[in-house]
Order: sequence, then structure tokens, then C-alpha cells
Amino acid sequence: MQRTIPLMIVLIIGIAMLIQFFIPHKISKEIYMNFLDWLGIIASFALVLGLGSLINHHIDKIQRKREHWQYSWVTLISILIVAIIGLFGGMEGKGPLPVQPQIMIGNKLIVIKYSIQTIYDNIITPLGGTMFALLAFFMSSAAYRAFRARTFEATLLLIAAFIVMVGVVPIGYYISPKLPHLAQWIMDVPNTASKRGILFGVGLGVAATSLKIMLGIERNWLGGGK
Amino acid sequence: MKFWEYLLKIDRRIVFLLVGLSVLIPLIFPFRIKTNVMPYTQKLFDVIEEIDPEAQGILISADYDPQTMPELHPMFIALLRHAFARKIPVLVMTSYIQGPGLAKQGLDQVTKEFNSQAMTNADSLIYGRDYVFLGFPPLWLAAVLRMGSDISQAFPADYYKNRTASLEMMKKIKNYNDIGIIVSIAGSAIPQSWVVYANTRFGVKVGSGATAVTAPDFYPFLQTGQMSGMIAGLKGASEYEYLVHTKYNLTGPTPATKGMSSQSIAHLTILILVVIGNIGYFATRRTRES
Repeated sequence: MQRTIPLMIVLIIGIAMLIQFFIPHKISKEIYMNFLDWLGIIASFALVLGLGSLINHHIDKIQRKREHWQYSWVTLISILIVAIIGLFGGMEGKGPLPVQPQIMIGNKLIVIKYSIQTIYDNIITPLGGTMFALLAFFMSSAAYRAFRARTFEATLLLIAAFIVMVGVVPIGYYISPKLPHLAQWIMDVPNTASKRGILFGVGLGVAATSLKIMLGIERNWLGGGK
Repeated sequence: MKFWEYLLKIDRRIVFLLVGLSVLIPLIFPFRIKTNVMPYTQKLFDVIEEIDPEAQGILISADYDPQTMPELHPMFIALLRHAFARKIPVLVMTSYIQGPGLAKQGLDQVTKEFNSQAMTNADSLIYGRDYVFLGFPPLWLAAVLRMGSDISQAFPADYYKNRTASLEMMKKIKNYNDIGIIVSIAGSAIPQSWVVYANTRFGVKVGSGATAVTAPDFYPFLQTGQMSGMIAGLKGASEYEYLVHTKYNLTGPTPATKGMSSQSIAHLTILILVVIGNIGYFATRRTRES
């Protein structure tokens, strides 16, 4: 029963959604809109479950002192602080507790807004930017080590990378005005051909998996092993 | 022989230092470099040029986070400037939970720029009349589908908690029929989903702003016409800045254009490093084989 009911729901809803796509009738649209509302409600439950699961996971990690358990404290404390600021300060410090601590640095009075936007501007933005900026260094080191003309295929890849890397920056135009167009051709023809092939594969895979889920052949989403 | 072997094994700290300097020095001492506009950037610009501000608006979806901000935020700013310069009603939303902060920063910056030069009320950019910030919908896909029939239903309240339906601009812009183009600025596959759910299903035009890494994924959609144009990477952003600033005589900061000298030198440095590695590889190949 525990498995049959969810399987039946998936089969019926899956077929209903498939059919409604081809029937542009008012009733069909109304049903569809209702399903979208349900989707929102289910997602809200998933959010609560996700948060609960994250907290449980980190508490368990701390209790068992698993590898890097200290970082779990960082996660839990961050969740707590952001939740408090979000609940009482709001997005822009206009929440029910709009405390604005003030600090004097030299002659300058700095007002700290008690809001999510403050955390966002001063912590998330610089941290995110730093993480992504590091990629440039690792990618350049990896390119230097890996881009070797060892075989014919590797040489082709190397030449294509050369043209695209120079062609997509303005300096490429100064090296040769034809270089940007050659880079564009590589992106337009060989790149698009391979991407299109991958997209067809992915599309067919998604359709097959969806059908398998609807027909109950694929049951991993039900969880619980066998 | 040792010299050739050294070329093969340059310490990674030296590589990091060279790349760091090739980014930093041109940032401090930038040089002017001619902007060569690529076809897909021009195409997106032309589509926005063709929108009738009296009949349709533009929806810009800031689907990015601080990680990809240096590359994508200049596109967002340039698109906002373009739309505001043409007096096109602008709707802004985001599909990323980390997106609203950046979208708000961008909106505040550009509206301030325009309002500081406005002489009359009609010239000014007024929230609710000229632009609306819808914020982040908790269930993005449902919102995208719902917007096809009613935007105010998908977003009952805007980012500032106003009732969306009560805003002046939203009386004119009801659903995708009233949107000239949706431009999704993202460092992921989100623009592809906009094509699938908004373009294919509702027929609204979709454009994209993508990081240089993700841009190749969208070429199939550009060729089929499912995507109406694309700004690719920081270079694309600089092209768009050039197009907008040249046409409308704007004076705001152009971070992408400034970044071009850095990016050019950094790319050349990496290429020189690759060449050095290959010289070392071929020079020592015979020794290795014997």
C-alpha cells in the first residue's frame, strides 16, 4: 500500500499533465493552475524537511566527531545567526527589531544595518567572488600542464582552444581581424554540432526516464532501498 | 637539457603569480582597445531596439549569484541602461535565492544614474510606473509557467511587498503577450529552461547573458531562433556597453570595457604558458623515448 498509492498518483498525474499540454481548453488550464499551486505547497514542505535534514546531519557529525566536524559548528551557527537576522531584521532592516549598531572608526560613524542585505553585501558577495576568482589560477595552471600536443586529437583541441581563446578577446582582432570570425565559426559549427548531439541524447534520456517513472519501472525516487 | 625540462615543470606558484600580475597590472594601468561587436550581441541589441515601449515591456531575469557577478553584473547594468534609455517598462526577477541582492544593487545604481540627470517627472524613473522588481519566486518553474497567463498571480506581491496587481505598470503588462523579450542572465543552464518553458510554450522571445564557460551550450538555440540573441562573457558585456553607450550617449561606469585589457593579457599569458609547455614537451620527447 505504501508503494502502490504513490505509484498510482505518479501514473495518473503524469498522464493527466501530458494530456493537458495538448488541450488548450479553459478547464484543462484551470486544472493545470491548481497543480501549480500544489507544487508550491509541496515545495514548502520540502524546504522544511531539507532544513531539518541539514541540521540533523550536522548535529550528528558533531556528536560522533566525524572528519571535519568543527566546520559543522560554522554551518549551524551561520544558520542560527542568519535566521535571527532574517526573522527580526528583515531583508532591509525594516523587520520587527530594526536595531542598527553604530561604530566609530576614527571620525567616521558607521551604522550597521541589521538586515539580510548587510550580510549579503559584506559576506556572501566577497566570499562568492573570491571562490570564483580562484578558478582563473587553477584553470591556467591546469591548461599549462594538460594542453600538450601528444596525439592528433589533442593537437586539434589545442589549436581550437588557441583560436577561441585569442579570438574571443579584443586583442585577437589586432593579431588578425579574421581571428574573431574564425573563433565564431568554431563556436557556430563544430561546437554547435556536438552540443546538439548531446542535447538530443539528454532529451531522449529525460523522456525515457520520465516514462519509466510514470510506469513504475524506475522506483528509486520512492527511497528505502528495495 | 635541464632548461627544456624546466619548461615542462614550471612551479605552479610562478604560474599563479604570472596570471595574477597579468590581471592586476592592466587593471591598474588599463589601455584602450577597440570593441569588435559579435553577431549575437548585436542581435540581442537589435531585438530590444525593436520593442515598442508603448505596447510591450522587457523582463530581465537576474539568474546569477555573487560568484559569477564580475562577468554577469555588467550585462545586467547595460541591459537596464538600454531599456531605461528607450523608456521600455522593465520587470526584474531572479530564479536564484542569492539573486535579489544583486538585482537590487543594479536597479538602485542605474535608476540613480538616470534620475540624477532627469529634468522633469516624465524623465525620472519611478518605481511601479517605469520598473517593477518582482524578486525571487520560491518555486521558479511554477512561476515561469504561471506568468504565461498572469504575472500578478505568479507574484502576488513584489520584492517590496506591494500588491503587484496594484502597480501602475502592471495594469499594462499582464502576461508574456505584453513582454517584448525575456533576457535571462545566468552562469548556469537556466536560459535553456526559459527557452523550454517560456519560448516553446508561450512563444515569447528569449535572450540570454551567459558566462564565457556556459555560452557554448546556447549556440544550438541561437541557430534555431529559439534564442533571440546572447551576450557571451565579459567580452559580450563590453560589446553591449559599447553599443548602448554609443547610441544613447550614456556616461555611467563601464566595468566590462575596463576589464577587457586585463582579460586580453591574461588570455595571452595562458597561451604563452601553453606554448612554453609544448616546447618543453617536444624538446625532451626524444630523451624520454630513448
